[in-house]
Amino acid sequence: MGKTLAEKLLANHTDDGKATAGDIVEAHIDLLMVHEVLGSRIIPILKEMDFKHVWDPKRIIVVNDHWAPASDINSAEIHRRNRNFVREQGIMNFCDVDCGISHQILPESGLVAPGDLIIGSDSHSTTYGAFNAFSTGLAATDSALILATGMSWFMVPETIRIEVDGKLSKMVMSKDLILLILKDLGPDGANYKSIEFFGTTIDNMDVGPRMTMCNMTVEAGAKCSPMMVNGYVESWMKNVAPTRKWTSTKPDDDAEYIQNLTYDLNKDPLCPMVATPDNPTNGQSVIEVSGVPIDQAFIGSCTNGRIDDLEIAAKILKGKKIRKGVRLIITPASRETYVHALHEGLVEIFMDAGAIVTNSTCGACVGGHLGVLGAGEVCISTTNRNFRGRMGHKDSSIYLASPATVAASALEGAITDPRRV
Amino acid sequence: MTRNLTNITGRAWVFGNDINTDQIIQGQYLTILDYAEMAKHTFEIPRPLFASKVKKNDIVIAGRNFGGGSSREEAPKVLLESGIGCVIAESFARIFYRNGFNVGLPLLIAPNAAKLVKDGETVTVNLVEGTLTLRSNKDIIHGKPVTERILNLLSAGGAVQWYRKTLGKR
Repeated sequence: MGKTLAEKLLANHTDDGKATAGDIVEAHIDLLMVHEVLGSRIIPILKEMDFKHVWDPKRIIVVNDHWAPASDINSAEIHRRNRNFVREQGIMNFCDVDCGISHQILPESGLVAPGDLIIGSDSHSTTYGAFNAFSTGLAATDSALILATGMSWFMVPETIRIEVDGKLSKMVMSKDLILLILKDLGPDGANYKSIEFFGTTIDNMDVGPRMTMCNMTVEAGAKCSPMMVNGYVESWMKNVAPTRKWTSTKPDDDAEYIQNLTYDLNKDPLCPMVATPDNPTNGQSVIEVSGVPIDQAFIGSCTNGRIDDLEIAAKILKGKKIRKGVRLIITPASRETYVHALHEGLVEIFMDAGAIVTNSTCGACVGGHLGVLGAGEVCISTTNRNFRGRMGHKDSSIYLASPATVAASALEGAITDPRRV
Repeated sequence: MTRNLTNITGRAWVFGNDINTDQIIQGQYLTILDYAEMAKHTFEIPRPLFASKVKKNDIVIAGRNFGGGSSREEAPKVLLESGIGCVIAESFARIFYRNGFNVGLPLLIAPNAAKLVKDGETVTVNLVEGTLTLRSNKDIIHGKPVTERILNLLSAGGAVQWYRKTLGKR
């Protein structure tokens, strides 16, 4: 019987080269990313473990991204602990509060390559699947054990096969596609599972929109969602890591899948989608929720804060003003994205339209800072989660949508179909 | 620390489906460095009185997909800190399930428990047998017994203690 992508990628990291769905395997980690959870939770655990040295200072990246720059005294203390740890342990890759969001920085720095096994102390670590990596989120204790040993155990996941063919129409983005897929899967439809994407839509998709899709597979509970390498990934790798050697991994033709979903976008064209409160799997066509008044519009995060996201928002906002009384907050995913947006003149378009452009941080998405919601407020956001209270007050509500839909909604002061502006 | 895993008796706190990590502990409290302080905000959104009323060995009973969302280990940690003796659910989200055992919080997968047990009712969990017994009528709900590997992890008091006993000595 053939092997899935998840089975092959994991098998390449075990001592005996074996991994079959359902097995529990010990695997060698290529790269571990830890963020503020290092200072707040992992360092105290390491003390309990009588830990001395990290297993390999080259295979660890520390990122201060969730509350960047520090939003209060506690986050400042966490950042201080992270800086000390990086210095004491000689960790080679460190991104302080000036860099941006981990899931954007890792690929930009050339630290993600096809075939890698990458663990992050963050659930959205599934993002690196866009690069043909097996990547998943674990928490503090597992991260501490990896810091000490470079190993972790995994249950080899079963796989759901999703095929998407056809073209996304104008103002319809990969965010809309993943919101549709999440609606079909439900909040635990991919729990413990790997998702593999196939079809012409995915083959022809650039790196940014692929990352958006892999980022959100965890909202259906997925463990990982490795995609196959395409031309965009090849040129990305040439650009960010020209000397790094990597090989692409493909599933076998006779690999076994536990579920198959297929989408034909030429036959059934996709509408812009909006996930209503309080779950990312509550997707509906924008037409259904059009006209819901908003207080805040947010464009940013590891889901949709990349240059292609900012470009489409700028296209909609250029020469226009956002509705009075509405706040539009734009948080580029990384410093590099920010600089890129500056050079392209996007920041000027945003400022002229009445937006607030912040530094790169997870900030508003986790209800941390730079866009926290008050009681009763409504936000339309390009982020990944709209759980109750996620971005602030427990009585605020969040609608998830693409950057195009969020920008159009900011202009109208209510949820708006971007194809109409 | 050795936990009693065959007789965990306490009052049930019953929840529905899809209780995510933000409902267990909201993101705004994650920078609090002291778990006892953070635990004062456990279940603040779905059950505002939880933190003031919870007693040692109380049991959380939920429907499908308990603990979805963020990877935050703070979620099982604040439950442990609140004195919760066991969480029973029809299913658990992947990362929460792993985190629970890692921090030494007993978890049991059992069908229909959230429908059969009344909020506040006293129940007894036997994790080795994988059962939940209602005190009122002695009804027994059969769940999925955890593996020996997980029982060892829980008996040791979590993954760190297990590491100190095993891997750390290599």
